[in-house]
Amino acid sequence: METDDATSPAYKRQCHSGIGADDPITVGQRLDRICSAAGVALKGSRDVVSEVRDLLDIDGRVNRNPYAMIAAAAGSGYVLGGGLFSPLTVRVLNLSLRVGLRLVAASPLIQCKLRGFAEAACENGDGSGSPNHESQRSKEMKQGSCYDKPEGSETHR
Amino acid sequence: MDITEPLKQTANDFEERLQPLIEESTEKLTSLHHQLTTYIRANPGKCLLGAMAAGYFIGRIARRK
Repeated sequence: METDDATSPAYKRQCHSGIGADDPITVGQRLDRICSAAGVALKGSRDVVSEVRDLLDIDGRVNRNPYAMIAAAAGSGYVLGGGLFSPLTVRVLNLSLRVGLRLVAASPLIQCKLRGFAEAACENGDGSGSPNHESQRSKEMKQGSCYDKPEGSETHR
Repeated sequence: MDITEPLKQTANDFEERLQPLIEESTEKLTSLHHQLTTYIRANPGKCLLGAMAAGYFIGRIARRK
């Protein structure tokens, strides 16, 4: 058909809304086209956002852990803002490492547990597993005898 | 014994004064926590975008320094 050919005058007339094949596009028409293109782009971006939201299950994660998700968003923004390799990050990491190590070192409960694990690992490594020896060791560990156990004490068979 | 009695009395007085304050602040914190989590669950997009924007600005400020 005549109107299907893009170069035909009838097609051009159709594009120009029947004004005339040689008349230029008015400002209003141009604006209309821009607005319709913008609307299509906006709709497309909304679809993409909702797809990503469904894929990552953002609503579900926010329902389960709201604070964690807020912290993750703030952290992402911080990284995007270029704060990852800044002096503030170094200071914060230093402080958290120091505090964490001091907590671990100072907490007697954690010391006791670590000692128990180390002893169990040494036992398994040495293969020193007579039943009496092991049961007494396990009893001592259960009773939490890290404080009561005198130094150099050995179990007697 | 004479020394410990006034100390005990002082400790008991402190406890009586502090206990209602501690309970009140615990209640306020609990209600604030509830309000925050309700708001975040009702408006997840806004809250996440706001947090990201805040983190971005803090990152920019930290980068400058």
